[in-house]
Amino acid sequence: MSNAIPETSLLTLADTCLLWGHRLSEWCGHGPALEEDIALTNTALDVIGQARALLQLVAHRRTPPTTEDALAYFRDPHEFRNLSLAELANGDYAQTILRSFLLAAWFVPVWEALEKGADRQVAAIATNASKEARMQLRHAHDWVVRFGDGTPESRRRIEAAVASLWPRCGELLDVEIDGTARTARRDAWLSIVTTTFTKATMTMPPMGAASTPNSSHPDRVTLLTEMQSLARQHPNAVW
Amino acid sequence: MSPQSGSAWPLFEVFIRNKQGLDHKHVGSLHASDPAHAVTLARDVYTRRQEGVSIWVVPSNAITASDPDQKADNFDPMASKIYRHPTFYDIPEEIGHM
Amino acid sequence: MYTQALDVPDIAAQQAAPHAHGASPAEANFLARIARDEKIEPQDEMPEDYRKSLIRQISQHAHSEVVGMLPEGNWITRAPSLKRKEILLAKVQDEGGHGLYLYSAAETLGASRDDLVDALHSGKAKYSSIFNYPTDSWADIGTIGWLVDGAAIMNQVPLCRCSYGPYARAMIRVCKEESFHQRQGFDIVRALCEGTAAQKQMAQESVNRWWWPTLMMFGPHDSDSEHTGQASAWGIKRISNDDLRQRFVDVTVPQAAFLGLTLPDALLKWNADRGHYDFGPIDWNEFWRVVKGDGPCNAERLNDRVQAFDDGGWVREAAAAHADKRARRAVSAASVRIAA
Repeated sequence: MSNAIPETSLLTLADTCLLWGHRLSEWCGHGPALEEDIALTNTALDVIGQARALLQLVAHRRTPPTTEDALAYFRDPHEFRNLSLAELANGDYAQTILRSFLLAAWFVPVWEALEKGADRQVAAIATNASKEARMQLRHAHDWVVRFGDGTPESRRRIEAAVASLWPRCGELLDVEIDGTARTARRDAWLSIVTTTFTKATMTMPPMGAASTPNSSHPDRVTLLTEMQSLARQHPNAVW
Repeated sequence: MSPQSGSAWPLFEVFIRNKQGLDHKHVGSLHASDPAHAVTLARDVYTRRQEGVSIWVVPSNAITASDPDQKADNFDPMASKIYRHPTFYDIPEEIGHM
Repeated sequence: MYTQALDVPDIAAQQAAPHAHGASPAEANFLARIARDEKIEPQDEMPEDYRKSLIRQISQHAHSEVVGMLPEGNWITRAPSLKRKEILLAKVQDEGGHGLYLYSAAETLGASRDDLVDALHSGKAKYSSIFNYPTDSWADIGTIGWLVDGAAIMNQVPLCRCSYGPYARAMIRVCKEESFHQRQGFDIVRALCEGTAAQKQMAQESVNRWWWPTLMMFGPHDSDSEHTGQASAWGIKRISNDDLRQRFVDVTVPQAAFLGLTLPDALLKWNADRGHYDFGPIDWNEFWRVVKGDGPCNAERLNDRVQAFDDGGWVREAAAAHADKRARRAVSAASVRIAA
C-alpha cells in the first residue's frame, strides 16, 4: 500500500491516545462532581477507542500480524512513541484539563487532515476521531476559560499547570506526522490556544525551543508498569 | 454542612428528543454551573447510548406547575365532553372508514 | 449495582414507624391510591413518613452506586486487555450515571444533593455493604458483574414498579443500562474458566469470597426485617428479601455449574419438594459488622469519596464563580444597550 501512513506516525498517535486515555481513566470515580466525572470518562473512552482502532490497524499491517494487546501490553516503555505530554501523571484537575486541552487542540487539525488523506483505513478512523476530538476540545476549552476567569485559586492553579506543561508543547509542534502538514498544524494549534487563553484572560507564554523530554520517561514507566502488570503475569492468557 | 455548598451548582431539568420527528421528553435532572454547561453535561449523562439528537435544559426553578390539589377541578370536567371523541359518532357500515 | 440494607431495623426503626393513632383521612386516601396502583408524583400530597422513607432509601441507593464505582475502578488501570479496559470504564461510568439519576429522583422530594452527600460523608447515611469488600483480583471484577449485579437486578426490577414515579422512572433507566453489566461480568468469569489453570483458580477463589456477601445483599430475613411491612404497604417494596434471595440462588446455581465453578456452601442442594435450592445459614454477625462500619474497606471507601469531593471543591467553585461573572457581564451589557 503506497498510500499507507508509516507505522511510526500511527504509533505516535496511538500511543499518545492510549497513555492519555489511561491517565483520564484514573479519574473515574474521583472526579470533582458526579456530572463531570461522567463527562471526563467519556473523553477517556473516546481516546482509548481511538488508540484501539489505530493499534489494531498497526497490528494488522505488521508481518507477521500481531494484536492490539501485544502492542499495548508487551512493548517496553522505550518502544512507545507517544508525545510525552500524554504520559505525565495527572496532577490536579487544572493540569489534567490543560493537558487535554493542549492535546485536543493538536489532535483536531491532525484528524481533520488525515480524514482527507490517501490512507483510507486511517481516514476512516480519523473521520470518527475528529468528531470526538472536537467535543474533547470544547469540554477542555470551557474548563480552561472557567479556571482562568473563575476564582483566584482556579487562576493560580491553571497558571501553575501552564508553567508545568508548556515546556512539553514544543515536542508537540515539532513532531512529524505523515499525512499532515507541520506548519498548518502548528498555525492551527497556536490559533486555538491563543483564542482560548484570551477568553480565559490569560497570556500565552512564548513558545521556546522544544525541550528534550527526560529520556528515561519516569511517568511513562510508572504508568506502563501498572497497566501491563496483570497481562504480563499471565503471558499466555486470553481474557 | 459542607463548605462548598455555598457554590453548589443549580439544578436543571433535562429534555431529550430521541429522534427527529419526536417531541423532547423529560428524562431527569442534573447540576451544572450555567445553562450552556448543563447542555454539555446532559449530553454526557443522558445520551451515552445514542438516546438523543437534541437536548433542552431548563432551570428547575423556572418551571411553573399546575396545583395537584386542583387536579380534579382542572381535568375531571373534560370527562363529560364525550362528543369530542370520534367514537361518539355512529357511522353507517356502508360508509366504511372515516 | 444496588443497595441492600435499606429496610434494616437499625437504620429505619426510628423513622417511618406507622403511627399508633388511626390513619387520618389524608393518609387513608393516600393508602387507597397506593392500593389502586396509582403512581405518586412529586407535587402530590404524601405522608411525611413516606417522603422521609423514600429520601432515605433513594439516597442510600444513590450513595451505593457512587461508592460502588470504587472497588471496580480499582482495576481500570490494570485491566488485562484494551477491550476489557474499555468495557470496565464504561461500566463504572454507568454506575456514576445511576447514582446521578437516583440523586435526581431524591431531589424531587425536596432534598438537596449537597445535603444527601454530606450525610454520606459524615457517616450518617449508609450504602450497600457489598462495596466494603476488597477487589483483590481481576476475577473479582467478573464476579461483581455476574453475582453482585445479578443480585442487584433481582432487587431492582421490582422497584421499576414502585409507587413513587420519579424513583420508578429512574429505576427503569438503571435496569435498562444494568443488563449489560451482569453479562460483561459473566463474560469475564467465563473467559477465566475457559482459560489457563491459574485463571480458573482466580475465578474460583473470587466466587468463594463473594458468594456469601452477595446473599447478604438481599438484607435480613423477612422475620427480622421490621420495616418490610411498611415499605410494602407504601408500594415501595414489592417482593420480600427472602423471596428475592431464593430466586437469586435458584438462577445462579445452574450458571455456576455451567462455568464449572463450585459455590462455597456444603448445604446447597436441590429440594424437589420445595422446587427450590436449599442453602446454608448466613453469617449475620458479619453482615451487621460490615453494615455498622467495620468491614474490610469501610474507612477506605468513605475516605476516597470525601477526598474526591474535597479536592473538587475549588473546581466547582471556579465554575460557579465564572458563571456568575458571565451573568453579571450579560446584565451590564444589556443595561448599556438600554442606556444607549
